[in-house]
Amino acid sequence: MNFLHEVFVWFNDPLNWQGTNGIAHRLLEHLALALAALVIACVIAVPAGLLLGRSRRKGSVAVNVANVGRAIPSFAILALGVIWIGIGYRPALIALVLLALPPIFVFTFTAVRQVDPATVEAARGMGMTEASVLRKVQLPIALPLMLDGIRLSAAAVIATTTLAALVGWGGLGRYIVDGFAVRDFVQVFGGVVLVAGMVLVSEAIFTLLLRFAVSPGIRRQRAPRRRQRRRDRPTAEVVERVVGA
Amino acid sequence: MTPGSVLADEPLVRWDWVGDHLRYIWNLLVQHLELTFIAVGIGFAIAFVLALIALQWRPVYTPVNAVTGIMYAIPSLALFVLLVPITGLTTLTAEIALVSYTLQILFRSIVAGVDGVPDSVRESAAGMGYTRRRQLWTIELPLAVPVIMSGLRVATVTTVGLVPIAGYLGSDQGGLGQLIFTGLNRFFNTPLLVGAVLTVALAVVLDLTIVSVQRALTPWARRRGAES
Amino acid sequence: MTDPEPAVGPEHQPGTVSQPEHAADSMIELAHVGKIFPGSARPAVGDLSFVVPEGEIAVLIGPSGCGKSTTLRMINRLIEPTSGTITVAGRDVHAVPAHELRLGIGYVIQQAGLFPHRTIAQNIGTVPRLLGWDKQRVGGRVDELMELVGLEQDLAERYPSELSGGQQQRVGVARALAADPPVLLMDEPFGAVDPIVRARLQGELLSLQQRLHKTILFVTHDIDEAIRLGDRMAVLNVGGVLEQYGPPTEVLAAPASEFVVEFLGAERGLKRLSLIPVSEAKLDPGPVVASSSSTSDARAVLDRERSDWVVVVDDGRLLGWVGEADLGPGTGRVGDAPVRPFAIRLRRQATLREALDTLISSPNRVAVVVDDDDRYLGLLDVTRIGDEIETVDP
Repeated sequence: MNFLHEVFVWFNDPLNWQGTNGIAHRLLEHLALALAALVIACVIAVPAGLLLGRSRRKGSVAVNVANVGRAIPSFAILALGVIWIGIGYRPALIALVLLALPPIFVFTFTAVRQVDPATVEAARGMGMTEASVLRKVQLPIALPLMLDGIRLSAAAVIATTTLAALVGWGGLGRYIVDGFAVRDFVQVFGGVVLVAGMVLVSEAIFTLLLRFAVSPGIRRQRAPRRRQRRRDRPTAEVVERVVGA
Repeated sequence: MTPGSVLADEPLVRWDWVGDHLRYIWNLLVQHLELTFIAVGIGFAIAFVLALIALQWRPVYTPVNAVTGIMYAIPSLALFVLLVPITGLTTLTAEIALVSYTLQILFRSIVAGVDGVPDSVRESAAGMGYTRRRQLWTIELPLAVPVIMSGLRVATVTTVGLVPIAGYLGSDQGGLGQLIFTGLNRFFNTPLLVGAVLTVALAVVLDLTIVSVQRALTPWARRRGAES
Repeated sequence: MTDPEPAVGPEHQPGTVSQPEHAADSMIELAHVGKIFPGSARPAVGDLSFVVPEGEIAVLIGPSGCGKSTTLRMINRLIEPTSGTITVAGRDVHAVPAHELRLGIGYVIQQAGLFPHRTIAQNIGTVPRLLGWDKQRVGGRVDELMELVGLEQDLAERYPSELSGGQQQRVGVARALAADPPVLLMDEPFGAVDPIVRARLQGELLSLQQRLHKTILFVTHDIDEAIRLGDRMAVLNVGGVLEQYGPPTEVLAAPASEFVVEFLGAERGLKRLSLIPVSEAKLDPGPVVASSSSTSDARAVLDRERSDWVVVVDDGRLLGWVGEADLGPGTGRVGDAPVRPFAIRLRRQATLREALDTLISSPNRVAVVVDDDDRYLGLLDVTRIGDEIETVDP
């Protein structure tokens, strides 16, 4: 109880919010890096997923490569990045992008593949161009699952960004590293709370996105159906949970 | 070597150093594997018990999922560090943290695997006279193996990647992470590279190994296609 | 005369049940069985009572919501009844633990539910293994059953995913028969295969039954399947209400209520025809002449029967027919004249429905009926078949 009180005090102290090591700055630093990594990963993985998902050829090769990509430990990549680029935010950025890529790719790919071929065929039959079919039919239907993948990646990236502090960078990981160095666990805990808070905010944003950007017709399909028997199944999330921080 | 790298003065790999320290590197590799297997083993045992309970009493699923999810969400570095005042700078600290990261994925995989058994198979088994227990162990769990092994794959690979971070806690922790931290602290490329590359290699090798074990355990999934 | 009016026979009121005479012969007995699912306003099955005699196939049929599957599953307690008693082979189903009960009852479902991770041989041997038979005995039984249901031996080590739908269903049946249970419960087992395979499987079930004489309770929504397979039919209305229970010929000839009439659908008369073998119809003896008789005898028959052709038989065996013009002037043996074959020849076990179908789709007006040794039995034409529709069977 005492400990939690101290953490509360730490948050309340206005001094802790100012300056380079202040909460405000560290938050923004962390957010900037995480966001950059996520955006870059999306820019690469989403078009790749869409294109490969639409094509009729068996995509198992791409998915297998992506799955192997999931096996690669972020911290090790971070370390390798340091060798090639030096310390700072750049190796961290590369490691984080590599972390975020596989789930976004796999989810986007699967999402497009799962669009009912009959629907796509009907759209083509009506005279839509391929671009229109993608934009107006496949994308909206695939959107929920795609957003799921990005959401998972976002959570993983936010948490893993803390590792950047190990290679001399800043962000919320600094509180953990610096706090540990002087055995100031209040600071460490504060850092953890901030990271967790950021993840929660991210989840909330995605929930809102799902609510507003996804058509109600698709949303209702995803709602778990009332089963007269016992079980309700866990969804795709199960095995797709990414290598975390 | 790109300019600007702090470690640019060093040649990329000093092979003589590697040669001198082969024994050391090997020991760290073994330690890394040990830490991984212990963590995944204990995590699997706990997750399995939790899963059996959740399969029997459905309401248990949500709280267990939530708790293990929260454990997973805590950044690894933070969890290692936060456990120190409780369990000290020991291997136990590292193991507790590593185990808790495996729990959610293993728990969900086991439950999802059993849930995924087709209703018709369940019904015909019950209708033939299987008891609940025998049905679970001889029909449902074997059929759940693919999904469970998927989860095991992710858990193992994740753990391999997290073990090095425990090296932050001290000089006898972290398996190959020792090499990485040595490299970072002393601005020395060689151990950094060796540690990082070996970690990645280990993760990939274990991933592929588990895939082959999974294929070996499920001969029925390999043969597809009906003859008329 | 087009449609016969729906005959709600005076002796058949709704809920009429033709019970077997000896209760001791019964293998499955339902007495006032009911099922209400929790949270439901109305019962899935109301007060249901009927008896299935030993060695018969009883078919449960009705629209969706009539509770036929629910009823079936109450017998092996996959669903527990909320009221009433069920007795199988003289024992209350609640007298033993559920799984023990089920080990003694064969159960076949639509999707077969074969265990994907076990070979065909292992699937079939499931119940014997559960009962503790030794490996050799199980192996022998598996071979026996595979032959019985028509599966080649080399399929034994395959996995279910490698088999076709029809083969999988056969495995399902073999698996249910493995421990030689006296009772089989079948829930739309042939519903998931195409019509051709389904017809074949139905035929095989019938011949299997000839050999094994099991007591089978069979659920289907296909009225033609029910008519073909059932020794008895239970027509259920929504809520498990038993509208009629009796042999198919009886149900078709004398439906007990409007519901049954509607359910049997159009062409009820034609459906009945598919149950009557040609040999049971009143055949026309026809203008028959022995091949050894003279042409003048033949001409006498022609005059008498007012026909311009005769049937020629040799010692009872059918040879064909001969037209008036072929007899030629003068005398001689009928057998020496050019004898023509009949375009339509019906064996005695062909159904009247098949006969009608063949007659309608050919320019011929008449078909000849013979037995297995080609002995002449008589002639059949469309009018005679129509007469059969009008008779009410006992």
